[in-house]
Amino acid sequence: MSTAHARGYSGARSTRAALRLSLLQFMADPQWLIPSMIAPVIFGIVAFELFRGFGPYFLTYAILGAGMMSMWGQTLYGSGWATGQDREFGTLEPTIQAPTPYLYIVLGRVLWNVVSGLLGGAIVYAVVVAIAGAPPALPDPLGFVVLFLFVMLTLAAVGVVFAAFYVYTRYAGFIQNIGEFAFYVGTGCMFPVVLLPFWTSPVALFFPPTWALDALRYASIPGYVGFSWGFWPDIAGAVATTTAYLVLAGAIFHRVERHVLEVGNLDHY
Amino acid sequence: MSLPAADGPAIETHDVRRVFESRKGFLFREKTRTEALKGVDLTVERGAIFGLLGPNGAGKTTFTKILSTLLLPTSGRALVLGHDVSRETDWLRPRMGLVLGGERGLYNRISGRENLRYFADLYGVPLAEREERIRQLLERVDLVGAADRRVEEYSRGMKQKLHLARGILHRPEILFLDEPTIGLDPKSARETRKLIRSLVGDGVTIFLTTHYMFEAEELCPRLAVLSKGRIVARDTVDGLRSLVGGDRTFEVEAYGFEDREVEALRRLPGVSKVVEEEFGPMTRLTLRVRTLETNLGQVRDLLPGHPELAVRERRTSLEDVYLDLVDEEVR
Ligand SMILES: Nc1ncnc2c1ncn2[C@@H]1O[C@H](COP(=O)(O)OP(=O)(O)OP(=O)(O)O)[C@@H](O)[C@H]1O
Ligand SMILES: [Mg+2]
Repeated sequence: MSTAHARGYSGARSTRAALRLSLLQFMADPQWLIPSMIAPVIFGIVAFELFRGFGPYFLTYAILGAGMMSMWGQTLYGSGWATGQDREFGTLEPTIQAPTPYLYIVLGRVLWNVVSGLLGGAIVYAVVVAIAGAPPALPDPLGFVVLFLFVMLTLAAVGVVFAAFYVYTRYAGFIQNIGEFAFYVGTGCMFPVVLLPFWTSPVALFFPPTWALDALRYASIPGYVGFSWGFWPDIAGAVATTTAYLVLAGAIFHRVERHVLEVGNLDHY
Repeated sequence: MSLPAADGPAIETHDVRRVFESRKGFLFREKTRTEALKGVDLTVERGAIFGLLGPNGAGKTTFTKILSTLLLPTSGRALVLGHDVSRETDWLRPRMGLVLGGERGLYNRISGRENLRYFADLYGVPLAEREERIRQLLERVDLVGAADRRVEEYSRGMKQKLHLARGILHRPEILFLDEPTIGLDPKSARETRKLIRSLVGDGVTIFLTTHYMFEAEELCPRLAVLSKGRIVARDTVDGLRSLVGGDRTFEVEAYGFEDREVEALRRLPGVSKVVEEEFGPMTRLTLRVRTLETNLGQVRDLLPGHPELAVRERRTSLEDVYLDLVDEEVR
């Protein structure tokens, strides 16, 4: 009996469990769906007005701009926020104490946030199409969806790194609000980077979604001139930066988990 | 089956110290250092309940967290099941269970059963066994009826039971319980203690902290007293009882005593300690008596002129011993 302890953890199973937990918590309290549905509607309306007259493909610009804005919140912010909640609930301690590295749990939550971010994107699409009265002219609708998902995944990689801050300190929300603003302006979420002042581009270069979003614009807007050298260089840039973020997340998480044991602030909230 | 040092002690610590540094203020940050543990040496054998007693702030939670890999010692060495808590967390975590008492630490918006499922997954409880094991556990902690209700609807006692169920879900070899009955009514506390005792039958080593003496007395054949970050005693209940002065306790009550009366009592043969307490208009003197030769009659004779005098003898409880120990440390 005493040796009948669990064999240990499975990372994939823990990720699935975290994804499932997010879903259960969402279903238990779905009222936040309303604010998270209102935001994409507003973004959609604003973007439509903003990009009106921005050339023949302004609808696509509007959808991408507003889509990124709403996904930003869902995917990036949501990942860290769930960890902040773990602090608040006092569940961070038992979770860290369990054999599974916390990173796997964050991955599960990020997956959930990708799903809910997609919902925001769909709402934006519907709103913009409804105002315009016609769908945007997309050269390759399927490719558009696939690349859209790809953008989300690159954003999710950033979310994983942000989540580490939430394990690190209870002040992560504060840090993220500042960091988020810089990224937000610098990465061309709303506007293509080429329209932004030069100083923003170094920030953008190290931010995976910039590349992915640029690739998406290349693929869906004929004649688009982005900040890189074309579609494939963009894809390469996105893959490289995303990989770098994931590697960074792996390294950071290991250290952060150690650091919090040293400081002893796991139960602070 | 062939664990290294499988018959060694369950817990072994050498000079474990822990310092917390916290900061106050925003611009001009003031550093404060709290030495929560000041060199704890402790050995706990396998297969029984070991109790760690101590008043608020003694360092019980800090020590429990160090042993359960949630906190690193600032210095010193702690081994659990023969493995170093600061370096061998991967080996240790699947084999240990931790229950930190209280209202927090659960996902409140989902059901008790879902909480258990989640942690079963994180602990790698074999999927084929998961549901059945959870069912058995819920039965064991008497939560079958509430299993599918949201945890936020649970009473404190029910939450505590769920905490316990989570702690043993993965069948740990060693279980750490930090004040497992805190905030429970007497009936729930008794049920919880019964459950804890039943775990020992499964071969689990249990390390339990409490500041209820009777709880330690009831559950723990061996215990240690922690006071201000130091172990001030470590013994069996009977051993502890004989440690402080003797086996007999006299209680003397009246509307106040004069100093020379107290002094006279102190000089009685075998009296090792006199503690004075006030409650309402009454004063109670508690005498610790080492010999059999001193009796209540002698006490009465020394205190004439107290028509309201009440004198009685009772068994020295662990609580008396404990208060003495902690009290001595204060001075
Ligand atoms: N994270 C922390 N930061 C700063 N000081 C801390 C921290 N955790 C504990 N302490 C301090 O360490 C000391 C021991 O605290 P601990 O919680 O271990 O005591 P305890 O014996 O569990 O008390 P209680 O019976 O009240 O639960 C206290 O002085 C406490 O203020
Ligand atoms: Mg405590």
